Amino acid sequence: MLFLALRHLLSRKRQSVLTLTGIVLGTAAYVAISGMMLGFQTFIVDQLVNNDAHIRISAREEPIEPHSLDEDFFGPEALVDWKAAPSGRRDNAYILSPRFWTERMDRMPEVAAYSQQLVTQVIVTRAKVAKAARLIGSDPARQAQVANIKNYMIKGQFTDIGIGGNRIVMGDGLLKQLGASVPGTVYLSVGKGQTQPFKVIGSFHLGVKALDDSTLFGALPDVQKLNGTPSRISDIAVRLHDVEGARELATSWNILSQEKVQSWDQANEGIMSVFTTQDIVRNSMTISILIVAGFGIYNILNMAVTHKRREIAILRSMGYESSDIVALFLTQGIILGVLGGIIGCLLGYGVCEIMARIPVADRGLGGNHMIIVFFPGIYVRGFIIAFSSASIASFLPARAAGRLSPIDIIRSENS
Amino acid sequence: MGILLTDIRKSFGSPPTQVLKGISLEIQEGEFVSIVGRSGCGKSTLLYIMSTLDPPSSGTVLIDGQDVNAISSRELHRFRNLKMGFVFQFHHLLPELNALENVLMPAMKANRQEERKAFAISLMEEFGLGKKLKSFPGQLSGGEQQRVAIARGLVMEPRYLFADEPTGNLDSANGNAVMSLFRRINQEQKMAVIYVTHDIDFSKMAERTIQMSDGLVLS
Ligand SMILES: Nc1ncnc2c1ncn2[C@@H]1O[C@H](COP(=O)(O)OP(=O)(O)OP(=O)(O)O)[C@@H](O)[C@H]1O
Ligand SMILES: [Mg+2]
Repeated sequence: MLFLALRHLLSRKRQSVLTLTGIVLGTAAYVAISGMMLGFQTFIVDQLVNNDAHIRISAREEPIEPHSLDEDFFGPEALVDWKAAPSGRRDNAYILSPRFWTERMDRMPEVAAYSQQLVTQVIVTRAKVAKAARLIGSDPARQAQVANIKNYMIKGQFTDIGIGGNRIVMGDGLLKQLGASVPGTVYLSVGKGQTQPFKVIGSFHLGVKALDDSTLFGALPDVQKLNGTPSRISDIAVRLHDVEGARELATSWNILSQEKVQSWDQANEGIMSVFTTQDIVRNSMTISILIVAGFGIYNILNMAVTHKRREIAILRSMGYESSDIVALFLTQGIILGVLGGIIGCLLGYGVCEIMARIPVADRGLGGNHMIIVFFPGIYVRGFIIAFSSASIASFLPARAAGRLSPIDIIRSENS
Repeated sequence: MGILLTDIRKSFGSPPTQVLKGISLEIQEGEFVSIVGRSGCGKSTLLYIMSTLDPPSSGTVLIDGQDVNAISSRELHRFRNLKMGFVFQFHHLLPELNALENVLMPAMKANRQEERKAFAISLMEEFGLGKKLKSFPGQLSGGEQQRVAIARGLVMEPRYLFADEPTGNLDSANGNAVMSLFRRINQEQKMAVIYVTHDIDFSKMAERTIQMSDGLVLS
């Protein structure tokens, strides 16, 4: 019936082209938008995964509950009714037994590298400018194995931080705000204790403004000294061989330990939920376009079936079976779906190619072009959506055509 | 072998009104038969039943010894495709196909269009359509369209040709042409032709006339 189906489609050129256009646009939109959104997501995920850690083990921050101090003050038996209940946070936000973790991770084959860190809030001052920032103290060699920071350096070498000597690298945004330069000197203080001079030996650009504007890296002993907490660490950043396993591993560690263990995606649940929202928007938009196109197919085929009643009857009288008639109309929908899917994928690919050349703000390693994903799965899915919406839309009219009783039609036409 | 109808009844609607009230008759192979009677007496209904397009409410239809009620739908369609041709008052050509393709539609179902092509062309030449093979139905006159439809009915060289008022829509010249075509095919190919007509002259061309009245066969 392919032959006749094609003839039918060609005899209604304008309708067919219009419907085809609908499917093509729907598919192309899906491909282009997916390429763009997934590109964006890949970029962000890349940033999250590579700039921080696959898994972060950090001290559990313990907020003080209204009754958590009762025992300390009044002994175990007392029933206390506070006028103004104590609140705040326990100060010792440190990992209590780092050896428990390091010994364990040394034995685990999943772990590629780990880096012990002391993370603390600091005030950075240069001349009269002061900024709050986050200072991460680590062993730079280990830190470089855990995160991709080396690739994002604009000036200086990350590992030149060494293992002591008050050397730091800072985000280029912070550098600019302070009016500092490389090399140069800034003063760091943690609020309590002494302000100390640090030498800026490098700067980096991660492409995430929040980080570039407020992050400093230094050597672990220097930071411990500045903070007045020798040999304490607050975090352990872990890199796995396979990032996919991060969530599962983090969850299992979390149960076993008194520290907080989070995989990169758990730590960034907010961003992940933005992605989910994006996916929903993307899918529902595409689906609505294709529903419209599907209705188009449904409509024109329905009309064609009504219009071609006599011809259906005559085909049946010649010995064509009900299934042949179903095939005749179903084929038309499928042709539109396949053609629309293929052209839509090609068009979507073209749009992606063009978008990939659009220059956008400089973003460190990502280069300065829009990141577009050309993952084949997008195209396969786009095609399947087009194909199935067209098939489903043509199935109902086709079935109706197959059920038409030829004799009733002939009778009504012939008398 | 031929067609054998036994006590055919057909009712329509609810409450059922009987349109055919017990008809038994036989049509021999190669016969040339007309069916006549007043409008509404059941001629078309009878023709559709004997041509397997419509099942009777009761009674049996044997074609070439086979009970059409007892065979599968697939077989029935094959049967129609290979053994029967139809011509209706309205030609029902497929407007997307040219004349030759229309004629070859039954052959396409049997996947024999190449094999039947030469025959289709010779039929059409014989019907004075030699120059119109590639014309589309919209470019043909009513008479030409009807001749294309007849060629389509004959392309599989069926054993039976059923025609319901084949000349009803044609002027007398075209009507005459169609009837003499029928006659010739009947004689040359020994194909049975069963046609319903309101035209007395055309009915007289038949070897046998089935006269109907109010759901019964008079003679
Ligand atoms: N599907 C149907 N439902 C109800 N009644 C029907 C149906 N088909 C036919 N009839 C009735 O059956 C009777 C016979 O119809 P039929 O078409 O066989 O007549 P006919 O002899 O061919 O008439 P005409 O010469 O006008 O074509 C008519 O009274 C008609 O109203
Ligand atoms: Mg009639």
